[in-house]
Parts: sequence; structure tokens; C-alpha cells
Amino acid sequence: MSGDTSGLIFTFFNQEVAARYWLQILQGLGVTVGVGLAVVVTGVLLGLALAVLRALHIRLITWMVVGFADVMRSLPPLILLIVVYFGFPSIGLPLSAFATTWLALSLVLAAYAEESIWAGIVSLPVGQMEAARSTGLRWWQAMAWVVLPQALRRAVPPLTNRVISITKNTALGSVVALNEILNQAQAASSTSGNPTPLTLGALAYLLVFLPVVVLARWMERRWKGR
Amino acid sequence: MEALQQNFFNLPIYAQVFPYLLQGLWTTIWLSALVIPLGAAAGLVLALVLSQSRRRSLRWAAVAFIDFFRAFPPLVLLVFVYFGLPFLGWEIPKLGAVVLGFLLNNAAYFAEVFRAGLEAVAPGQMEAARSTGLTRLQALRHVVIPQAVKNVMPDLVSNSIEVVKLTTIASVVGLPELLRAARDAQSLVYNPSPVVLAALMYLALLWPLTRWMARLEHRRTTAR
Amino acid sequence: MVMPSPLLEIVGLRKSYGANEVLRGVNLRVRPGELVCVIGPSGSGKSSMLRCCNRLEEASGGQVIFDDRDITRADVDINAVRQQIGMVFQAFNLYPHLTALDNVALALRLVKSRSKAEARQLAQAALERVGLGHKADAYPAQLSGGQQQRVGIARSVALQPRMILFDEPTSALDPELVEDVLQVMRQLREGGMTMLVVTHEMAFAHAAADRVVFMDGGVVVEEGTAADVFERPREARTRSFVGRYSGARAA
Repeated sequence: MSGDTSGLIFTFFNQEVAARYWLQILQGLGVTVGVGLAVVVTGVLLGLALAVLRALHIRLITWMVVGFADVMRSLPPLILLIVVYFGFPSIGLPLSAFATTWLALSLVLAAYAEESIWAGIVSLPVGQMEAARSTGLRWWQAMAWVVLPQALRRAVPPLTNRVISITKNTALGSVVALNEILNQAQAASSTSGNPTPLTLGALAYLLVFLPVVVLARWMERRWKGR
Repeated sequence: MEALQQNFFNLPIYAQVFPYLLQGLWTTIWLSALVIPLGAAAGLVLALVLSQSRRRSLRWAAVAFIDFFRAFPPLVLLVFVYFGLPFLGWEIPKLGAVVLGFLLNNAAYFAEVFRAGLEAVAPGQMEAARSTGLTRLQALRHVVIPQAVKNVMPDLVSNSIEVVKLTTIASVVGLPELLRAARDAQSLVYNPSPVVLAALMYLALLWPLTRWMARLEHRRTTAR
Repeated sequence: MVMPSPLLEIVGLRKSYGANEVLRGVNLRVRPGELVCVIGPSGSGKSSMLRCCNRLEEASGGQVIFDDRDITRADVDINAVRQQIGMVFQAFNLYPHLTALDNVALALRLVKSRSKAEARQLAQAALERVGLGHKADAYPAQLSGGQQQRVGIARSVALQPRMILFDEPTSALDPELVEDVLQVMRQLREGGMTMLVVTHEMAFAHAAADRVVFMDGGVVVEEGTAADVFERPREARTRSFVGRYSGARAA
């Protein structure tokens, strides 16, 4: 049976192949982290802006925001990526792989972020806004200093889960030729005819996301009391 | 705008490719119908092990499984299972690899949902059931689990919607679901309209479900 | 006169939560047919002691002897014992997803292996005895606190246990609803049920209890008949605790 295990190691953990391609995988890791961070920042900020717009209670705006959120939550992210990458050039908007992935995933995250933050806003007692306004604060001041801080706190658990999901979707970027981890790993695997680069890629993903998942679990436990 | 209609909403092309896409949609639907119940069942078992087992090693194994497969991007997992396993000498059929990959990922997400649901059931419920002589298993089955499921209905629906969206990933390994059909059609007609049509079909399928889920969620938050 | 042997006997019971010792050697006897009330300030360990009796909590030391068997031993079938010792909770703990009837019938079906029809019949009878036969199909959310607690009592009574433990059964109730529950408890007593009741209802303890036990700081300070403890307390701690109640009565 040792023949089998050494065969397994030779196939999936081949040191020679690993030494040749680990740098490539590392570059892919940089792209994954870069796109991920970019998506999180723009996605959450856009979602926050949309939730605040919804708080204006202007019917047309609310419909547009809800419509946007519904569509972005109902579409598979991969199809959004493909439409943008392969479709937009034909209407005169060619985007790079990075820009495509960033745009598409930001829009999706914004939709979920808007819903989570809105749920947080709605869960507050009406008295909060009333109390703030009754001391003379303007609407946007009440939002900024009283409503949003509390709403954001309540939105943290569902939001962290969503952020994790969306950033993992950066792997979808490989389908539109983004040179992130999976793309590099697949290329190296087919060049060398050995799946070791795939293993390296898997390890790279774990390196990025296991701490995030553990951190999210810890954060959820910490905020549970509120 | 002319370009938009020509390239995105090209009606003659829609008519041409629609039957082909319909076949892909069927694959998407039965694939989802297969993965969702299996994933939910596996997730429930994991969550029960996690919250009920007295053996620390079992609980840790469950947590490790859940965290590992939540950290792993599903596409990477799929590629690994699909391309990697043959290297091990395991010749599993294309569909088997896809389903396995989905199940591993999906069970972990369902387990998290059920875990939260179980935790939300007041401990007094288990106590009351045990105090009338019910065994732990009976108490779980008749008192705790029904309440846990009711607690997390919106999240279960949300997860199920995610599975349907996840099936698009199988297009990467050539499974003939809806997105694959659309991309094949796109390369045949040299026009992105099929993919847009597929997007509209996903919307038609999933938007009502998303609305329903939003309503369930709203009902849950107002019930508190 | 030979005293009947106790149905429940607690010997040297100890319980610690980490460094906090809440029970420091409790001795107590409940004889068949007796209603024993346990009174005392919050934190005296009354509830912990009660919950050790059906092993919802595990004692750190000492024994609980029920029907001449030490039920704290590991080899005891605790599920069988719990069919003999019922429990009524301060928070009622009714199953919210089942009707009142199903709440009572569940254990009958699963534990006593009754058929569905038999279980429902027995459950209906138990609900009638607590005056809630007409509410069989109501869900707990549709019942008042007092009604919920009476369903809780019916749930225990239906199993025909040898004795029932009451953990502050009326503490979570609005004052107007307390009397309904106490009335049911008095009826149980008249029917010959053995009851061990932790309570703050001093008037009830004084009037209905065969024996009263005063606990403080994790030990039994004093015990005796209701008259002894309330009217002729021997210990100073008992005097000051009971004095507050008597003072209220006199006023």
C-alpha cells in the first residue's frame, strides 16, 4: 500500500513541480486578495449608499433600489461576469478581466449589503430617529450619528457571511481570464501535466479564507450579546 | 441603443436558441432538486453532531468540516474533484464529480444555518421534554428540531436559491446546464444575446423565490 | 406510630458551579402523600436542589434516594425515573409548535407507548382535571400565563408520576393568575399526590403544606410543620425571613 501513497504524493504533492510554479501561484494570490479587497470596499459602500437612499422614503427611489437588489440577488454571479466581459465590448464598453470581476461582484455585494443594512435600520425602534430629530438634528445627522451606527452593528453577522461568499467568487474571475489563483493553478497544471499546482492553489485559498471564516465566527460570537 | 438591441436583446436569435436553452434549464432544475435535499440532510446531521454530541473529537471534526468547506471556493472545489480525482485512479462519472463537489460545499452552509436554528431553541424546551422521560433522540426529533427548522426557514430558502445559482459553475466543467447551453449558443451565433436570454431566464426562475424569501424574512423579524 | 418510609430522600447533597458552592450538604425527606414547601431567599440553592432530584442537574456530591434506590448512580435509567418524578417549571416551557393537547400527549405516546388515540384521550382527561378541557386545541401563544402553567401541570400529571417537583411555579405569573394555579395544586394535594414545591407564596405554604423547609446559604436551616416554621421559628435566620411575611399579614 505504500506504493499507492507515494504515488499519491508524487501526483498531488510533487515537490519538483511545486518548486517550479509556486511563485506563479503566489502572484495569483496577490490578484485574488487585491480583487477581493476592492470588491468588499466598493460593494459595502455602495450598499450603504443604497440603504440610505431607501431611508428617504421616496417611492420611486425605493422601487429602484429594491429592484436593483432583487435582480442582483437573483442572478448567478457567473452569468453577470460573462455578460459584462463578453457582451459589453459589442456595445462599445470593453472592460479588462480585473475591472469586469470588480464591477460584477461589487454590484452583487452591494445588493446584499443594502438588504442587510436596511434590515438593521428597520429593526431599530422608531423612537431613535424621533429622539434625534427632537433635539434639533437634521435628518442626515440623525442617520449618521444615531441610526446607522446601530444598524451597522446589527448588520454585521449576515454581512460577514455575505462578504466571505462574494470574495470566494473571485475564483469565478478565472472564467473571464482573470489571472487569479485558480487561473494560474489550472494553467500550470495543464502545462506540467501534474495536478500539484492545483493543490498549491487550494492551499493558497485556504491560506486566504480560513482565517477569514474563523474571524467571522469569532466576530459573530462577540456581537451576539447585542 | 441600436447596438444594445442588436447584441443583447436580439429577438430572432432568442427564438432560435430558446429550445436549446430550455434543455439547459431542465438540467439546472433537476441538478438543484438533487443537491438541495441531500445537502440539507447532510447539513442537519452535521449541525446535530456539532451541537449535541458529547464527544469533543466529533464536535471538532464537524466544525473542521464546516469551516473547511465554507472557506473553499466552490469552483476550486469542483475543479479539484473533477480533474484531480482521476489522477487518483478514481473514474467517477462527470455528473458524480459535480454533485460531490456541490454537496461538500452545500452541506457546510446548511450546517451553519441549522446550527443557528438549533441554538435559538430555548434550553427549557429540551429540559421539559427530558423531564417527562423522553430520551434525547425523542426530544430532538419531536420538540427541538421542528422548532429549529421553523426558526430558520428564510435562511433555508436563501441557501436553496444559492444552490440554483451555484449550478452555473458546472458550466466550467462542461456540464450542459443553462449557462453552458447559452455560451455554446453564443459561440455559434457570434452574438451575446443567448447569454442575456439565459440571464433573463434565471431572473424569471429566481426573482419570485427571492421575493418570497424576503417576505419570510420580514415576517420573522416582525414576529420578534 | 411507625412513620411511612420516605418516597424521596436527599442525603448530604452538594453542588458547585466552578468555585461557587450553592449546595453545602442538604438533607431532606418527603414522605408519600406529603406536600413539602421549600422557602428561602434567592440564591439559597432551592432550585438547584430541586433540579438535582430529577437529575436535570448533576450533584457534585451526596445522594438522591427515590423509592429506596439511589438515582444519582450512573447505571440508573434516568428516563424511566423521570416518568415517576414529574416537574413543573417557572417558565412553563410548553412546546410552542404543539397544541395544548399534543403538549400533554407527546410523552404518553413516545414514552408510555400509548396509541395516538389513547394518548389523546388521557391527555384530554388530564386537561379537564386542571380545568382546561375546552382549550385542548389552543396553542401556547393563545393561552394566558396561568393557563399555560396549568397545561404544564397537566403534562406532568398525565404520566401518573409518584411525585411532582414544582420549581417556583407561580413566580412568572401576574398576581391575578396565581390563584388559579394554586387552586390546581391544592386539588392535586387532596388527590393524594406527593409534591415538593419551591415557592415564594408564603400564604400558600402556610395553609397547604404538611411540612415547610427553610433553606439559606446552601443548607437546610430549619424544618417542621407549617405552623412550627411560620408561627414558632426556632432559628434567628428563619425568624427574620418569616417575619417579613408575618408583618405583611398583620398589616
